Amino acid sequence: MALMMAYLVRHYIFTLTVLRKPQKHERAVTVGKTPYQPTVSILIPARDEEKVIRRILQRMTELTYPKDKLQIIVIDDASTDSTGKIAEQYSKMYGYIKVIHRNEKEGGRGKASALNTGLRYTNGEIILCFDTDYYPQVNIVEKLVVGFADQKVGGVQGRVVVLNEPQNLVTRLVALERMGGYRVDQHARHVLGLVPQLGGTAVAIRRSLLDSLGGWDPSILAEDTDLTFSIYLAGYKILYIKDAESYEEAVESWKAYRKQRRRWAKGHMQCAFKHSLKVLKSNNLSLKEKIDGLLILNVYFMPILTILSWIIGPLLFLLKPMQPLNALLASLLVSIYSFAGNFAPFFEVGIGAYLDGRTRICWLIPLLIFTCLYNIVICTEAFTDLLISKISRKNHLHWDKTVHSGNGNSYIMS
Amino acid sequence: MRMIPSLTPTTFIMLILGVSTFIFIMFLPALLELKKHKDAGPRLIMNDAPVMQTKIRETILMVNVEEEHGFDQILAKKMADVMAVLPNIEA
Repeated sequence: MALMMAYLVRHYIFTLTVLRKPQKHERAVTVGKTPYQPTVSILIPARDEEKVIRRILQRMTELTYPKDKLQIIVIDDASTDSTGKIAEQYSKMYGYIKVIHRNEKEGGRGKASALNTGLRYTNGEIILCFDTDYYPQVNIVEKLVVGFADQKVGGVQGRVVVLNEPQNLVTRLVALERMGGYRVDQHARHVLGLVPQLGGTAVAIRRSLLDSLGGWDPSILAEDTDLTFSIYLAGYKILYIKDAESYEEAVESWKAYRKQRRRWAKGHMQCAFKHSLKVLKSNNLSLKEKIDGLLILNVYFMPILTILSWIIGPLLFLLKPMQPLNALLASLLVSIYSFAGNFAPFFEVGIGAYLDGRTRICWLIPLLIFTCLYNIVICTEAFTDLLISKISRKNHLHWDKTVHSGNGNSYIMS
Repeated sequence: MRMIPSLTPTTFIMLILGVSTFIFIMFLPALLELKKHKDAGPRLIMNDAPVMQTKIRETILMVNVEEEHGFDQILAKKMADVMAVLPNIEA
């Protein structure tokens, strides 16, 4: 109950923060007066992405960042379709695009492994990563790298907006989740000086720091969360730039949603086991950063606690006699929590939509209750997998790749 | 003393009706929006959309044609460069 209260209070603080502190929005992008233009390498890992690879590569050629300071590396991760061929076509036309082909033996070991391969060929001071289903603003590089003028900044995250939102109910609900997550949650963490997270894409990282950390950890399924905490523990900060926007193609079916979220949940739980103690002991993190960091790391355990409380609560109620006054107090607390607590994440999403000027989509917010329930199942499944993997000491944790249909193309090219 | 209230048939029916009405009212706006979309769609993140749309469509078509006919990429690029400096006869 106390843990749930901590999360709900956090949701309210975040939501009220973005409502009340718009003046701090541009904190990171106004570092210095002269433009800071370091050399930049962009990594694009791609495995069987023929339906979307053209879109991102074409966009890369349209970036406004000086091309003599830009290097784009596509890591063709043992694709069996024409991904590598398409990338090669672009490489022939544009000298700053390079393609690395991984064979069957090297490839298919997950995104972190592919990124590490790509990293070896980079020469930029700043490393950017984009997934193939992304479609950023033309000036996103400028927006992401300017924060690195501050030597204490180790990473910068941009905002993600769902491109194929009108496609179906799943994409609409994912879009709502993204609004809450990026427009409110990440932004509030940035404004409050807490722990903005690096996502796996639309992200920039200081090269020297990445090298000192040994690149991405291929044994962790949430390589982005792992890197986030490695950066903080190394004494660096992460910025979130809400105006550095990029489209993404959201998953289109409940099955794909489940696969993606299960991978995120497992990876996040791995990170919780790896970093929680280090976060507590760290001298590089303030108390509020430690609290926020621990809440982030352990967020995917909350649905499991919810299930446990659903089982244990009624059992205790039925088995253990309760005095009328205690029962009244208990039901009062549960009612308050049910009203205010469960409402908190929905409130956050609603405010995110409101700040984007998307009031009509708020009508769909009650449907998020289904994704909440679905996430309870997904997280429990992920936790069970992780436990089995730990107990049997066998690696059941393989990278479940999200398949991109390229349906988002129609929203760009219509 | 247990706090399980005794349910008469009437209170049971009232409870079911109350819960059903609450759920219906809660989801009604969502059902209306799903049935007839009035939302503006994805947030526009770019201010150069029209130019970009044309360019990307042309490039993808060109790449597809090249794939089908096995055109030389470098030659195609050179041709495109030459065509770019030719006067616009439509102007």
